[in-house]
Amino acid sequence: MPQWTLIGLLKGKQTAPWPLAEGSDGQSGLLGMPRYHPEHCTADCKVCADVCPTAAITLRSQKGSVDSRLDVDYGRCIVCQLCTETCPTEAMTTSSDWAFGARWRDDLKWGVESTASPQSEPSARAGFRRSLHIRHVDAGSCNGCESELQALNNPFYNLHRLGIFFTASPRFADLLLVTGPVTYAMHGPLRAAYEAMAEPRWVMAMGTCAVSGGIAEGGYACGHGLEGVLPVDVYLPGCPPNPAAVMHALLMFLGRVQQRVKGGQLVE
Amino acid sequence: MTVTQSASETGFRQRADKLHPAALKDAARELVGRGGRMQMVYAWYPEPSRIELRYVGTVPGQVPFAVWRCEPDGPVPSLAAVAPLLSWYEREVTDLFGLEFSEHPQPQRLVLHDSAIVPRPPFDPDYPTGVEIRAQNQQSIPEIAGVNGDVQLLPFGPIRADVLESAEFLFFYIGEAILHYQPRLFYKHRGMEKRFEGLTPERAVVLAERVSGVGSVAHALAYCQAIEAAADCVVPPRARFLRVLLAEMERLYNHLYYLGHLCHTTTLKVGEAQGKLLAERAKQLNARLTGSRFLRSILTLGGLRRDLSPKGWLGGELESLRESYAVYARHLETTDSHLDRLITTGKLDPKVAFDQGATGPVDRASGLDRDLRRDHPYAAYGELPVNVAVRTEGDAHARAQVRMDEIDASIALMQRALLLLPDGPIKSECKIVPGSDGLGWSESPRGTLFYAVHFDQTGRLARVKIKSPSFSNWRAFPFTVHETNMMDYAINEASFGLTIAGCDR
Amino acid sequence: MSNNLLSLAFVAWIAAAALAAFRQGLPLARILLAGGSIAGIIAAIVALPHGTLAVALPTRLAGDPVDFQMSPDASWLFGFGLAPAALACAFSTPKRDAEAGWLFGAAASLIGALGVFGVRHGAGFLIAWEIMSFGGALMILSERLSSDVGRPVLFMLGLLETGAVALLLAILLLGALSHSFAFQAYGHLLAQASTPLLASLGVLLVIGFGAKLGLLPFYEWFPATYGAGSGASGALLSGVVMNAAFFGLSRGLLEWLPPQASLSAGLGIFIIIVGVLSAILTALYAFQQEDWRELLSFSSAENASIAVTMLGATLLFRGHSEPLLASLAWVVALLHLAGHALAKGGLFLAADGVYRATSRYTIFHTDLLRRSSLIFGLGALFAAMSLAAMPPQAGFVSEWYVFQTVFQGFHLDTLAARLTLALAGAGLALTVAVAFATYVKVFGVGLLGRTSESDGAAPPSSVISAGLLGLCVLALAVGMPLWLNSLDIVVEARFGTQAARAMHDGLLLVPLTAKFAFISPTMLVIVMPLLALFPIIIVLTNRRYAVRRVPVWYGGLEQDPKRVSTTALTFSNALRTFYSFIYRPTEETERETHAVRYFVRRLTFTHEVAPIFGPYLFAPVTRFVFKLASWLRLLQSGHLNFYLAVIGVLLAIILALALF
Repeated sequence: MPQWTLIGLLKGKQTAPWPLAEGSDGQSGLLGMPRYHPEHCTADCKVCADVCPTAAITLRSQKGSVDSRLDVDYGRCIVCQLCTETCPTEAMTTSSDWAFGARWRDDLKWGVESTASPQSEPSARAGFRRSLHIRHVDAGSCNGCESELQALNNPFYNLHRLGIFFTASPRFADLLLVTGPVTYAMHGPLRAAYEAMAEPRWVMAMGTCAVSGGIAEGGYACGHGLEGVLPVDVYLPGCPPNPAAVMHALLMFLGRVQQRVKGGQLVE
Repeated sequence: MTVTQSASETGFRQRADKLHPAALKDAARELVGRGGRMQMVYAWYPEPSRIELRYVGTVPGQVPFAVWRCEPDGPVPSLAAVAPLLSWYEREVTDLFGLEFSEHPQPQRLVLHDSAIVPRPPFDPDYPTGVEIRAQNQQSIPEIAGVNGDVQLLPFGPIRADVLESAEFLFFYIGEAILHYQPRLFYKHRGMEKRFEGLTPERAVVLAERVSGVGSVAHALAYCQAIEAAADCVVPPRARFLRVLLAEMERLYNHLYYLGHLCHTTTLKVGEAQGKLLAERAKQLNARLTGSRFLRSILTLGGLRRDLSPKGWLGGELESLRESYAVYARHLETTDSHLDRLITTGKLDPKVAFDQGATGPVDRASGLDRDLRRDHPYAAYGELPVNVAVRTEGDAHARAQVRMDEIDASIALMQRALLLLPDGPIKSECKIVPGSDGLGWSESPRGTLFYAVHFDQTGRLARVKIKSPSFSNWRAFPFTVHETNMMDYAINEASFGLTIAGCDR
Repeated sequence: MSNNLLSLAFVAWIAAAALAAFRQGLPLARILLAGGSIAGIIAAIVALPHGTLAVALPTRLAGDPVDFQMSPDASWLFGFGLAPAALACAFSTPKRDAEAGWLFGAAASLIGALGVFGVRHGAGFLIAWEIMSFGGALMILSERLSSDVGRPVLFMLGLLETGAVALLLAILLLGALSHSFAFQAYGHLLAQASTPLLASLGVLLVIGFGAKLGLLPFYEWFPATYGAGSGASGALLSGVVMNAAFFGLSRGLLEWLPPQASLSAGLGIFIIIVGVLSAILTALYAFQQEDWRELLSFSSAENASIAVTMLGATLLFRGHSEPLLASLAWVVALLHLAGHALAKGGLFLAADGVYRATSRYTIFHTDLLRRSSLIFGLGALFAAMSLAAMPPQAGFVSEWYVFQTVFQGFHLDTLAARLTLALAGAGLALTVAVAFATYVKVFGVGLLGRTSESDGAAPPSSVISAGLLGLCVLALAVGMPLWLNSLDIVVEARFGTQAARAMHDGLLLVPLTAKFAFISPTMLVIVMPLLALFPIIIVLTNRRYAVRRVPVWYGGLEQDPKRVSTTALTFSNALRTFYSFIYRPTEETERETHAVRYFVRRLTFTHEVAPIFGPYLFAPVTRFVFKLASWLRLLQSGHLNFYLAVIGVLLAIILALALF
């Protein structure tokens, strides 16, 4: 056993400096959500809307405030890149945008000004800024989101240094982190987990499945994500969102970094 | 040397023998008597009024699978007594199609929970669209009789401690000793197979990738190969070699994470950190190679969606990873506290493994030398040296050792594939023949995976059946838990390394 | 005055026996029995601290006059043993159709116990002893609360009669040495007897009384016999009957045997070893039982063994000329049995309450405390705390004193004595720890365990019994400085010291000197409620948040709390495995499968712990006896000619003897 202590010490620090300091976040080369450039769209072209598996891109039924033909809802995007590959005019391009953590659902929709009032004030979370306990519930995910969540405690990401921990019981938890489209069998246990939490309590929908149902939504066994099931405080689409995106969304929720997505676009 | 795969060797069309329901038992007995193994049985509706059963089995020494068709009119005799592993598939057919199997030893619901309120069998053509099943929170538990109620029940789940998938485990135990163990899965049943119906085959690749998140390549590969078998499509050589590369990259990060998780259960903290760090490095290599940490959005029918350029950098990274891993593995194999908890834990008897359908590293650790890459080659595996790791002890240590050997074999295979990687096109056209069917398979990190696809007359998918390795291995797992003790349970479960999403679909 | 009360009790009991024998007026019989017991208690209270006056009984046995006198320690033990007996007789056995036989047996036990405590004649003592055993057997036999009641009772009687034979031999020996059977005559000539003879006399006494007290190997009759009776029988057997047996042993060893140094020391060591080993074994077996009666019976044997160990310590200290310590040890034994009688009686009657509510004596989740009166719970809690040696109860006081006594071993000068006491301390520590776990199991699983089914509540009879006896236990502990005064005179007479007075210092209880250590249940009972005021005030003044109630978290599903709670077997399993060399536990799992062995239809699990002495000592003896009986059965051939031939041979032999 002493050999392992020595091995560990000799390895040195393996944690990425990000997000507390400048440095690599480990996601180089990763393809993120597609970027929409409505100015490159041609009239009558709906190739991307036809090919999108989750109907994240739909033809706009009426004129909106921004000049665009398409409604792009990043809350439904599974990052499959089919639209970027089939778009003939580069209206949909690849990007490495993955920091899509958002407080309000409307922020994930392209061009929408979110007028929704906040569901909870940041001041209510002041006491949790550097100490947040999360209870994760898998409501029927494909295990990709769990894989990324389990990676959060590896030496590279090291979630503990941010003061964020996973707990075993909802009684000790402040945040309920839900993955999966909420299958019929997990509906009851999920609600029981929420009821078992002491207030103040919040909910985070991680992954496109939890935000809007994802690729498996509907059918005889699945719901449409957390809408109508639980009141959600943080949305993080992605299929699955990478660990850096999860860390960003949690820090954003705690008020330690800024939310970067507004109207479906990443701003600095 | 090029190898063309023709439908006669891989896909269904010519080789489905039609059997009468009454003749099933004898045919199964004959196949099992020859040392063969039934793989799965599933049902589908060729027409809204007609149901058909398909049985698939492997016969030793024969590359093509044995496939039987059967058109039942009433309850079908259950083959559970002849091939116990079929009992779960038969229960799934009963739950989803409403077809009864007579003399089934455990005719309870499996895939749908026994308290679920279901209007009609979900795959029934008249199932009302958009209606979701409802569940009640209470489920039936095997009754504990006896005047004292000596035996204690621990219902663990479905929400378990730590970041884990949802499943319920019932322990009937007395203090340390587990008398009987029963996993109750299918809380995560999403009905993925039904989601395929009506889709065009190209659109459905992204669906196949998300059936099991950490097995995206294996699932997409099996699915694409099933379609290619049905369409008689030949995949270009470059694509076949790149497919091998992707499949082995997936095996690599899965096995590295497995070792880290195993150290977590044996409370070897630094070992856990090191293993998970190596898995993170592998995932970052994935992102660098394909743009996705899970190698998604690359595979498509007939080849790959876009070209990859691994030459010049991937070989060096893999070698560096291999060196780090070799040091790690050596340290693990010399840590007594870690080994003590693995050796003789959760022994899986070879006969039980065979009868229950255990697959992948689990049955290779019990001495069963089976690997789809070598026995039924696909992609470019026929042209590459496939070293199959086999152990005979059948305990947790053997399962870990098999995976450790597979890591070495994977990296060697990838280096060889990089060396032999030819240039050329990466995709060929796949023309779907309406009404055709095809069988595709791949060796996922957890074992054998089958996709059976059937097309309707408009060229869209009519039925997709997924036989996942975790579905098979979860059946075998309880037999290693009865009569063991609670302290070893977590280690045993980690040593199997199964997913629940793959099992539940 | 106390003699009048005792004769009143005697008459009442005889009358009750007569009524029971004729199956008439059973409620009156119960009142007579209970009333007689209360008279006995008052007699004991009045008699202390002097004891009763000697009274000559109107018979002569073997040519000697028969006296009746209860010494102070006899009154002490008799009084405490009668408290549970009164309640047990008042509410009687829960098996109504067995009441007549049971009341007769109870009367016989009480009458016999009275004789054992007071009769001062060898033959009379033996008659009373046999009446007491007979009463006990009759109580169990009439109840038939288990399917096989004959065999256990036979086993009990067999072992008790073995003890009785030892007692008979001892009394004959004493009579031969003293030329009289009257107890007053013992003593003078004994001093001239040889040490080995006196030692064997001591061993015979230990065997004789140990058969009833449950010293090894005699505790083996306890579980089966108690398990065939009811809680009321157990309350009587573990209360007044066990106290009577201890009194006999104490008097025999301390009064009848002369105080020779080497004899006392050697006998003391022997008794300590036997006592500690018995205590350890019975404590371990008690922990594994799953039936109230069987568990409490083993626990009774354990407590009796502890008292016997203290008796051995008394002899040891006396043999080393430490009369102060000897008297301390002896008083401790008396205190221990007093608290034990009350607490054990309380739990036995609580077990009857469980039986009346759920029709079973098994220790399983009954949720009884929630449905029953608060008094029942408190009484059972106090009794369980006392037996688990938790402050401020009487059991804690006596256990504390036991250890304080054992620690005094450093005063002795021989290695053997010091080593024995040190090892005894270690063994007793193990016993107390296991006893604590046992009572957590009894109370936690048996009374506190929740269930979603609803059986009945504990009936008023059990509420009153448990509540009263629990209260008495607390009163014994809290008032200990007072009660100790009543043993002053007998300690002075027996040992010539003021030990009983030295054991308390104001409100504190001390082991003869306040410089060593002290406890004070009296003060605890005052201080603890005062300290509890703090958290209560905090809770009362801090009501800011609304309370939201949610179900217990099991992982997302609702569970029946009874299914998922600890069972009695699970609780004791760890110790079962650790001490498997004593228990030799056996488990058997049988799986019933369908056609193929993989599909299990039913799983049957049986488990047993093996007794130590049963297979190696009693089974061979029983086999030999059966073999002997089968040979003798040859005489019952059924042929008339054979019988005539035997008669003829016998006549010939008699003729030959007469002539020659």
